[in-house]
Amino acid sequence: MKERAFITLTNGFKDKLFRLAKRLLVSNEEAEDATQEVLLKLWKNKSKMAEYKNVEAFAVTMTKNYCYDKLKAKETGNLKIVHSNYQDERPSLQRQVEAKDSLDWVGKIMNDLPKQQRMIIQLRDIEQYDNAEIAEMLEINETAVRVALSRGRKKIREELLKKHNYGVV
Amino acid sequence: MELSNIEKLLEKYFEGETTISEEKELKVYFTGETVPSHLERYKDLFQYFSNESTITATKDLKIKASRTPKYKWIGVAASIALIAGIFLTRTVDSTEPVDTFEDPEIALQETKKILNMVSQYMNEGKQNLVYLQEFENTKKKFIK
Repeated sequence: MKERAFITLTNGFKDKLFRLAKRLLVSNEEAEDATQEVLLKLWKNKSKMAEYKNVEAFAVTMTKNYCYDKLKAKETGNLKIVHSNYQDERPSLQRQVEAKDSLDWVGKIMNDLPKQQRMIIQLRDIEQYDNAEIAEMLEINETAVRVALSRGRKKIREELLKKHNYGVV
Repeated sequence: MELSNIEKLLEKYFEGETTISEEKELKVYFTGETVPSHLERYKDLFQYFSNESTITATKDLKIKASRTPKYKWIGVAASIALIAGIFLTRTVDSTEPVDTFEDPEIALQETKKILNMVSQYMNEGKQNLVYLQEFENTKKKFIK
């Protein structure tokens, strides 16, 4: 496969990989790096590409694994506070600040979810993959996808309700 | 779409039981203008989802991997050339010994003469080493 063909192929889902990496790693730069790494790995193994049933799904799985490794390295490397979420000690103040942009607030809620729920909501509600595809990408079964999806969405609803009831502006 | 329908869909949505197309309907509805106040809070959610799906990576993919193999082979080629060069020049230098005498008899005599000379010098040199025997004798006194 030629370079150009490869780039055209991957351009179709490159942004999706980037958004997933950003969802997991939060930082823009790290997400860019992750996307590059995954695509390069894919390029190096281009000879095997024909064997993959679905290159896009495979790339998503690779991205997930790459980000997991990164997150693990960060935890053990004592770098936990870099780009992760700071502890919420004074919710009212924080809420006030964040409520300035209510959409950011949704993002914040989402990034507070456990990794798996976060990914599943990302893949389903933002990228609009169906459950079967997500199950394949994340290497879990479809029921687990549906359960995690529902839990994640309910958690978001709960947090949104809280915010609404506090009426912070 | 009817309000009751939307509410039903929302309930299904939170149970994770909506289909992709139903979710699209919800998205369209909530990103629209008219949303009743009790559903207002979900507006952010769907708005956020549709905003997020437009984020794009800024860096372009650079495939640097394709460059390295080329140089790798140049290195291999260069080292092969170098080794081959060393061996080739060596074989050129070491030419076959050329005969210096026409008559084999004379050659034999000359060779003998030279070998004699060598052994003579050897023996002369060895004579000076006789005193080494002393070391051996002394050593024998201690080590039996």
